Amino acid sequence: MSNQTPLPEPQEQLPAVGPTARGVENYRGNARRRIIRRYSGYLFLAPYLVLFFSFLILPLIYGFWLSLVDYEMLSPEPPGFVGLDNYSEAMDDPYFWQAMKATGLYVGMAVPLGIGLALLMAVLIDSLPQKRQGFYRLMIFMPTMITITVAGLVWRWFYHSEFGLFNAMLERFDIWVPWLTDTTWAMRSIVLMSVWWTIGVPLVILMAGLKQIPVSYYEAAAIDGATGYRRFLYITFPLLRPILLFVVVLSIIGSFQVFGQTFIITEGGPELATRVIMHYIYDTAFNFYRMGYGAAMSWILFAVIIVFSLLQFRIFRER
Amino acid sequence: MGISKNTQRAIEVFVLIVAAIFVMPIILVFITSFKPEPEIIRFQGILPIQWTLENFREILGNPEEIPIFRWLLNSLFISSMVTLLVLTVSSMAAYALARLNLPGGRILFFLIIATLMVPPQILLVPVYLILNPLGWLDTPLALIIPAGAGAFGVFLLHQFFKGIPKDLEEAAAIDGCSKLGIYWHVILPLSKPALATLGIFTFIGSWNDFMGPLIFLDSVEKYTLPVGIALFQTSYYAEYGLTLAASVICTFPIIVVFLFFHKFIIRGIAMSGLKE
Repeated sequence: MSNQTPLPEPQEQLPAVGPTARGVENYRGNARRRIIRRYSGYLFLAPYLVLFFSFLILPLIYGFWLSLVDYEMLSPEPPGFVGLDNYSEAMDDPYFWQAMKATGLYVGMAVPLGIGLALLMAVLIDSLPQKRQGFYRLMIFMPTMITITVAGLVWRWFYHSEFGLFNAMLERFDIWVPWLTDTTWAMRSIVLMSVWWTIGVPLVILMAGLKQIPVSYYEAAAIDGATGYRRFLYITFPLLRPILLFVVVLSIIGSFQVFGQTFIITEGGPELATRVIMHYIYDTAFNFYRMGYGAAMSWILFAVIIVFSLLQFRIFRER
Repeated sequence: MGISKNTQRAIEVFVLIVAAIFVMPIILVFITSFKPEPEIIRFQGILPIQWTLENFREILGNPEEIPIFRWLLNSLFISSMVTLLVLTVSSMAAYALARLNLPGGRILFFLIIATLMVPPQILLVPVYLILNPLGWLDTPLALIIPAGAGAFGVFLLHQFFKGIPKDLEEAAAIDGCSKLGIYWHVILPLSKPALATLGIFTFIGSWNDFMGPLIFLDSVEKYTLPVGIALFQTSYYAEYGLTLAASVICTFPIIVVFLFFHKFIIRGIAMSGLKE
């Protein structure tokens, strides 16, 4: 029976299901085996997937559900479905708008300043001899490594109106700046510190992008007599654009979530002038335990971030 | 390259000045932490007139009120565990997704990559409410386990694994190597640079994390260094000397790690930007 038709080569190499197994059963066994083999890769994936679904997908869905209920952690009543009430509450909440305004102001200042300086430094450093480029990049990147509490507390000391280092240094020029005590200056001070603290990542990415531009382009431009800013305008900038877009979007997304800087340096003050949206969400959820409202504002922030990313993408594409 | 020697020199001087301004605050913190309190409050020059270790002595010699060693150990433990977890689960997942041709693997990979767009901060409220019934709040688990869910590691390693030549894997398979064997003996040893990059990234990110421990931890002795130091803002508000000494203790290890491994860190960031 078994010697009627010789099995094809590859199947013969697989271990038989049993010594008496018939050809058909053997084949079926192999098919099952093959399926097991194909899916066995999921064993490698399983530990990550458990975490991914429990702590990323589930919170995402759960957070959306939370935004639709009236969940006050300290109240004995079970959470009740309120539809879009949390969202309409935000629309009528002056504190929400104040926080949004503060966040917008921060993004509007920190992104152009940060990316502008990062781009300038990247281009300048790139024009220096290769040997020393790494050194300068290292120095400018270093503040990024420091934890926000340390950076924040230190800058808080720099900015202090009486004992602060900045005003002490400016004293000899008879200048006195209300770094953190004036509602207008407070946000500027936060932005200044943030540029120092966050410039490292865009700088590194932009420098890597500059390295990818073939030298031959510049050589060709030099023959055509293009130098200085023309070189930048007609070669560097267009070729760097996709990476610049990436960095800008990254920076916008990060800036909308600003929290540590204002939380530590100004504590949201003076007069809530620097209480940004993440700070207000934190207060709502973890000081007043209004989880539903906090989750709803998180989703509004998420929506704003996505809109901005898509908008940026389109603007750059159309050009 | 079209720039005169003088222009280049001027550029370099400018770059050097800017770079110095960026490093200055860090150097100032280190130097000033050796000043006595009155000298810190009344600025009389960058270098201390009188060098002192008093700030460090006070902060280290007061373990009941300021358990800074405890915080240091907590930070070390949590960051190491997070790094281990992320490296293990991400590399296994990335191996399966990049090399094993799983049914449904592409869709899963797409789903995982899409979550890179989700700002982790918006997950804080729901994650808090998930951790609460598990009894993990105010324990290191709250900071360790959810950290394994991030998609960045899977993405980074996936891109790297894709680039490893298939023949090595096939040769190992012919020699009778199982999938686990290939993962362990072929893929991982060949990916040391990518693993190092991801590991350092994860470690520093976890070490510097502020919002997570702020929300998930309650007891002072369970704090990590960054949250512990934030306490100074409320308790030792006016004592700059203590704050600065604590800052030095917290920053020093990171600066050392950074100076040793900056190549990996910078390469990792550049990679994440250019692959887009």
